[in-house]
Amino acid sequence: MRLPSLQGRRLVSALLFAGAALVAGAVIGACTSDEDQQQAQAVEQQTQQDQDQPAAQVSGEPRGNTIQLIQDRGTLLCGVKQTQPLFGNRDEDGNVTGFDIEFCKAIAAAVLKDANAVEYVDASDASTRFELLADGQIDILIRTTTITSSRDMELDVDFAQTTFYTGQGFAVRKDSGIDSTSDMANASICVQTGTTTEQNVADHFTDIGLDYEPTGGLSQDVAAAFFEGRCDVLTADASDLASRIVVRDNADDYKILPQIISKEPLAPGVRDYDSDWKDVVNWVVHGLIRAEEIGLTQANVAAMASNPPNTEVARLLGVPFEGGSVSTLGFEVVDAQFIQRAIAAVGNYGEIYDREIGDAIPRDCTLNALARPLPSEAVDCGPGEGGIMYALPYR
Amino acid sequence: MANMPAAPRERIVLPPHRQRARRPRSVRAREWVRKNLFPSWRGTLLTALAAGVLGAVVVGLIAFVFFGANWEVITHNRWLLFAGGFPREEAWRLWFSIALVFALIGLAYGTWSSLGRRDHLFVLLVGGFVIFLMAHGGAAVWSSIYFLIAVGCMYIGYLLTYRLPRATSSMRTLQVRLVGALLILALPIVLVVLLAGGNVGIRDLDGFVLNLILAPVGIVGGILIGIPLALGRASSLKSIAWTCTAYIEIVRGAPLLGWLFVALFILDDIIGGDLIIRAMVVMAVFTGAYMAEYIRGALQALPRGQYEAGQAVGLSQYQRMRLIIMPQALRISIPPMVGQAISIWKDTTLVTVILPLRELKGNADSAISQFEFTPDRIEAYVFVAVIFWIVAFMMSRVSQRVERAQGVGER
Repeated sequence: MRLPSLQGRRLVSALLFAGAALVAGAVIGACTSDEDQQQAQAVEQQTQQDQDQPAAQVSGEPRGNTIQLIQDRGTLLCGVKQTQPLFGNRDEDGNVTGFDIEFCKAIAAAVLKDANAVEYVDASDASTRFELLADGQIDILIRTTTITSSRDMELDVDFAQTTFYTGQGFAVRKDSGIDSTSDMANASICVQTGTTTEQNVADHFTDIGLDYEPTGGLSQDVAAAFFEGRCDVLTADASDLASRIVVRDNADDYKILPQIISKEPLAPGVRDYDSDWKDVVNWVVHGLIRAEEIGLTQANVAAMASNPPNTEVARLLGVPFEGGSVSTLGFEVVDAQFIQRAIAAVGNYGEIYDREIGDAIPRDCTLNALARPLPSEAVDCGPGEGGIMYALPYR
Repeated sequence: MANMPAAPRERIVLPPHRQRARRPRSVRAREWVRKNLFPSWRGTLLTALAAGVLGAVVVGLIAFVFFGANWEVITHNRWLLFAGGFPREEAWRLWFSIALVFALIGLAYGTWSSLGRRDHLFVLLVGGFVIFLMAHGGAAVWSSIYFLIAVGCMYIGYLLTYRLPRATSSMRTLQVRLVGALLILALPIVLVVLLAGGNVGIRDLDGFVLNLILAPVGIVGGILIGIPLALGRASSLKSIAWTCTAYIEIVRGAPLLGWLFVALFILDDIIGGDLIIRAMVVMAVFTGAYMAEYIRGALQALPRGQYEAGQAVGLSQYQRMRLIIMPQALRISIPPMVGQAISIWKDTTLVTVILPLRELKGNADSAISQFEFTPDRIEAYVFVAVIFWIVAFMMSRVSQRVERAQGVGER
């Protein structure tokens, strides 16, 4: 028995009606996203500029002015990872958090005077992250990205000051009897594909003349494979290994070998040939490190700014010292107080580290410690240990 | 059939020489077991083997679900998985939309079908699952209440329409038109409720909400694109036929993955707009090519006589299509179109893989990247799989109802 319901011409006219309704919906949707469209237009203008000046890219003359674009738009498009424990992630409320995210906020505070004026664009996919940057869909890539010469030269990316130093290490089960890579003949090794990690381990085993059996995949997948016993060794950045082991109930069953086979300096990336923008990013990072060196914190920065103890603090915070004049430090694209706002927004480098990483990856005596520990925090490090976080001078 | 609820099943009456005295239930059961499970020693062995495997799976599953798994990764991240970055103070928009859609489902079921015992059981199971998620680990009392209200709306909608007399034709026509119009307007209405005014933009569609918006836009848009394409391909005007054929072959010839790359890196210079709108366009365009082919198949399956009969009674080309051909063709193409709908529903996860957008699976990846939950990835992925299954299963069931109501395969 058939119903006379949605049949026949009613079905057809209904579908036509749906078309009209869909168009109406799309129009309303478009109206609510005026801001997005402005952004898209701004980016479009940017890409238009890029297309207009193909020669400029080749000759290395200044091209697109990202900082102007950001200020016109009013938001910073920060390309971040959303699947990296501690560094770039989302909390239970859907907010993006992590070590890398703090730098997005600091830069937004510096450039836009508002640490929350950031739109976090998901750049979790390792294979498209540089494309997003080159295409103008993000202004900056802060996504545990290693600086390498080939990336710097081949891709449309320039790296700013390193925010986190790590190196590639190996994790094994304690009862595996492996103490260094020389014990890993024919071992199965879990390694993330499509990253510098994979190349490093291949190079290393060529150098020591051993064979191994690689098991590839995404970073969280290879870690899981290792913990499920599907490979003997897990290799990744030592900091990543530490953070993945420490949360496990049986963390004591695993150990990280002291051997480090690569340098992995993780740094923010910006587009090539945009010195003004890169300079600002660079000096914000240096400013946060400098703040830690001289004891400026999120809590005391306002007091320090109203009553600077010396000329250097006054210069860094962009305030006059004892009736003197304010130095702009030569920056034309941002005002003199950009470092002050960054510190007020997220605190100094050490505060960021403690808040986002803390004990999950101990900092003392690693490369990420200050090159010159504060006298009060001096710790005894072993031979060959010690930090290299060293801010360049502001003057 | 469909509008005769609880119609008693006809009992097959056997001819006298095949009638046997019915034996007691226990005897019949014993016989069934012997015949089906232990017919010979080989059969017994197979039964034992199957029972062993099945038992191991069930025991393992129960052990995992109730004892081994740490479901906190889900309960702690309810909001992240559900709506992600959608502003929390605007959550009423989500609940209102859900209540609206549930009420519509109720209205539709009451109008064209009926809820059987299995449907109530399904609602009970899924509802219990959702309430359990919200009750577990931290209070989500209000969310639970909102959800219950939404389920209540469904039953109210059902009772409202189901109780209406179906015999009086004028009332019935009005009801069908009203509910049909509401169904068709549902998607735009939901989009308006979610996005119009206030502190929300299209970019706030996130998590499961993004899947729930992307798939219907892809499906409805796909049908709207598919119908003219199918007709165009069958057109006698060569230029139109070739254009439509080219569209279908080109769009179908590349994977959705590739088209999403186009949305990301090429369409922004051509049509602009937010990435989510571009993703919606790509989903609709892609689905449209498939829908067109299903409809074309249905057009070709119609007997020539249908066209000729239309001509014979003097209908114009347009009238023939609208009154005779398309209603039948759309009815025939329901099963493959639903298959495509389920396929595009699952393909919504691709927006996380290719585009910098976060849907349910992407947010599950974020949940298991939270420092304390990094060991709990299996729980997260099992949860995502179950959620996708529930919706796909519902689509499949609803399509069966539609097929029955439209009399597919019964002509």
